[in-house]
Amino acid sequence: MQRELVSFPLSPAVRVKLVAAGFQTAEDILEVKPSELSKEVGISKEEALETLQILRRECLTDKPRCAGTSVASKKYTALELLEQEHTQGFIITFCSALDNILGGGIPLMKTTEVCGVPGVGKTQLCMQLAVDVQIPECFGGVAGEAVFIDTEGSFMVDRVVTLANACIQHLHLIAGTHMDEEHQKALEGFTLENILSHIYYFRCHDYTELLAQVYLLPDFLSNHSKVQLVIIDGIALPFRHDLDDLSLRTRLLNGLAQQMISLANDHRLAVILTNQMTTKIDKNQALLVPALGESWGHAATIRLIFHWEQKQRFATLYKSPSQKESTIPFQITPQGFRDAAVTASSSQTSSSNLRKRSREPEEGC
Amino acid sequence: MSNKKLRRVGFSQELCDRLSRHQIVNCQDFLGLSPLELMKVTGLSYGGVHELLYMVSRACAPQMQTAYELKMRRSNEQSPAFLSTTLSALDEALHGGVACGSLTEITGPPGCGKTQFCMMMSVLATLPTNMGGLEGTVVYVDTESAFTAERLVEIAECRFPLYFNTEEKLLLMSSKVHLHRELSCEAVLQRLESLEEEIISKGVKLVIVDSIASVVRKEFDPQLQGNIKERNKFLAKQASLLKYLAEEFSLPVILTNQITTHLSGALPSQADLVSPTDDLSPSEGPGRKQDLLWASQSEYLKILILLILNLSRKVGSKGFHEWEVIYH
Repeated sequence: MQRELVSFPLSPAVRVKLVAAGFQTAEDILEVKPSELSKEVGISKEEALETLQILRRECLTDKPRCAGTSVASKKYTALELLEQEHTQGFIITFCSALDNILGGGIPLMKTTEVCGVPGVGKTQLCMQLAVDVQIPECFGGVAGEAVFIDTEGSFMVDRVVTLANACIQHLHLIAGTHMDEEHQKALEGFTLENILSHIYYFRCHDYTELLAQVYLLPDFLSNHSKVQLVIIDGIALPFRHDLDDLSLRTRLLNGLAQQMISLANDHRLAVILTNQMTTKIDKNQALLVPALGESWGHAATIRLIFHWEQKQRFATLYKSPSQKESTIPFQITPQGFRDAAVTASSSQTSSSNLRKRSREPEEGC
Repeated sequence: MSNKKLRRVGFSQELCDRLSRHQIVNCQDFLGLSPLELMKVTGLSYGGVHELLYMVSRACAPQMQTAYELKMRRSNEQSPAFLSTTLSALDEALHGGVACGSLTEITGPPGCGKTQFCMMMSVLATLPTNMGGLEGTVVYVDTESAFTAERLVEIAECRFPLYFNTEEKLLLMSSKVHLHRELSCEAVLQRLESLEEEIISKGVKLVIVDSIASVVRKEFDPQLQGNIKERNKFLAKQASLLKYLAEEFSLPVILTNQITTHLSGALPSQADLVSPTDDLSPSEGPGRKQDLLWASQSEYLKILILLILNLSRKVGSKGFHEWEVIYH
């Protein structure tokens, strides 16, 4: 191999000594035995052995790359990708309008960012998706498991129990009309205990724990191969108040974004991140924009922004590589994330004071 | 966890010394560097650096729990999940009362009864569990000097005349409420940081901060550009401290906030009374950002209660009778 030494991941001290001893390319070193190398260069025998092992490993993986056919390199034709996309599942949100604008639901193998003001429903959507990802395949789901990384402490188990029960009831209604073996069997496995046991919860208190957890995720995912959804609820919070150094923050966030994308691709799962909103002063006007700056806007593939307009919640698909920009209304019922009610719901409060947010009247399931 | 010193992670002394020469002492410093920088600093190969990263990540990453385990733990816990407010409509709206392990914010116009509410909750927290209390002590951080012990005793006496039938019991109850008067942001922060030890040593079951807004508004003028950042930092630090205490010790934490008036559109005569977290109109100036940051701390864990008092009703000697509850 004619590859130069500088391009190998050797430790800097060893590399400097090798170059000083006159070795320029990998080929020169591979001919030499470890003990001879150590004597000539002035490094320990263990270091020499490690160097040779690194070089050999790198050269082996290089060869297939040169030959042009490799399992390791991810090369597809657009046709193969098209077939893959057709068979790929979506994670439904139970709000048909939202599923429609997303093209079927939250797509797998992509990172989706959900931004919104506090209280608009980002965590509700995350909890809903953690339940929905487990819907069996015969009911149109992906039958996967979920990882929930919580940085804000807003995960409420009781709420997930309510959502899961509502989902189970909903599926029972559907199964009632189908009556076949497959559906009945799938329903047996879809119990509250199973649903809750397949949501893996991590509570990170600051950005260091978040970075550590994301670093360890690939190992975790290899052990839990059925995970199809990774949720990071609150990617903004740990980075907004503890970090004074903005360049460090940008670097860490970009690294995180890259890791998320590679996780989504390697393990074929969907990644959801929730973000906060911040005010931007623009020509004496205060605008609400997603937090973490302009460069973070490039991180996620798909961006959803939730906002209020009078008493109705709206979701806007702001950025997507394949779907059109659009806005739809939605609501959050006791059963979870749902389509907005068609008729105007009456306010529950008797006060005449203006309240922007009122719970929709409880409707029977 | 992020402050864990690298020495305790299992690094060799030599490596620790080498790293400390570059000011890398704990996990936070280590994980903030890129692999290339780490290679330069430690003198190891790429594989070696990844092994170190793995060790450090293992040391500070959180434990995994399934949602099922969380649920089981909650139902097995001896302590109650809510502190009932004894106002049936409010309890129903909150699904049980003030939630333990969460922050609850009470907001309203001046004079509507926020401090009275806090005093009532203090009495309730000291009651034994068979009466709906938490049987513990209360930490009351008062930034407005609005707390009066006489009123506390009056509420207790009139509300529970059968229980507080002797002078002794009243005095005992009042000795369980620990009042801290803090009048500056710095003092509040210091008090919150030292709260953990107090909670453990005195068996505290309720923390009240009345109010968070007054110190902030006194010290940070939102018109000055640099102040917004400082104010945000302070609010965020405060919120994360309180959240940590609430979660760690399963305490209810009650905060009171003030409101700001927002004049909507071209109708200056009709002022919408809106809570700071509600105000989303673009006509507001730089004041928006910090309120949003505070509000964004209040994700589901923090439940916002807006008490808009019908001004014709007087707060009786028993505390509160009926309230119009508008919640979100």
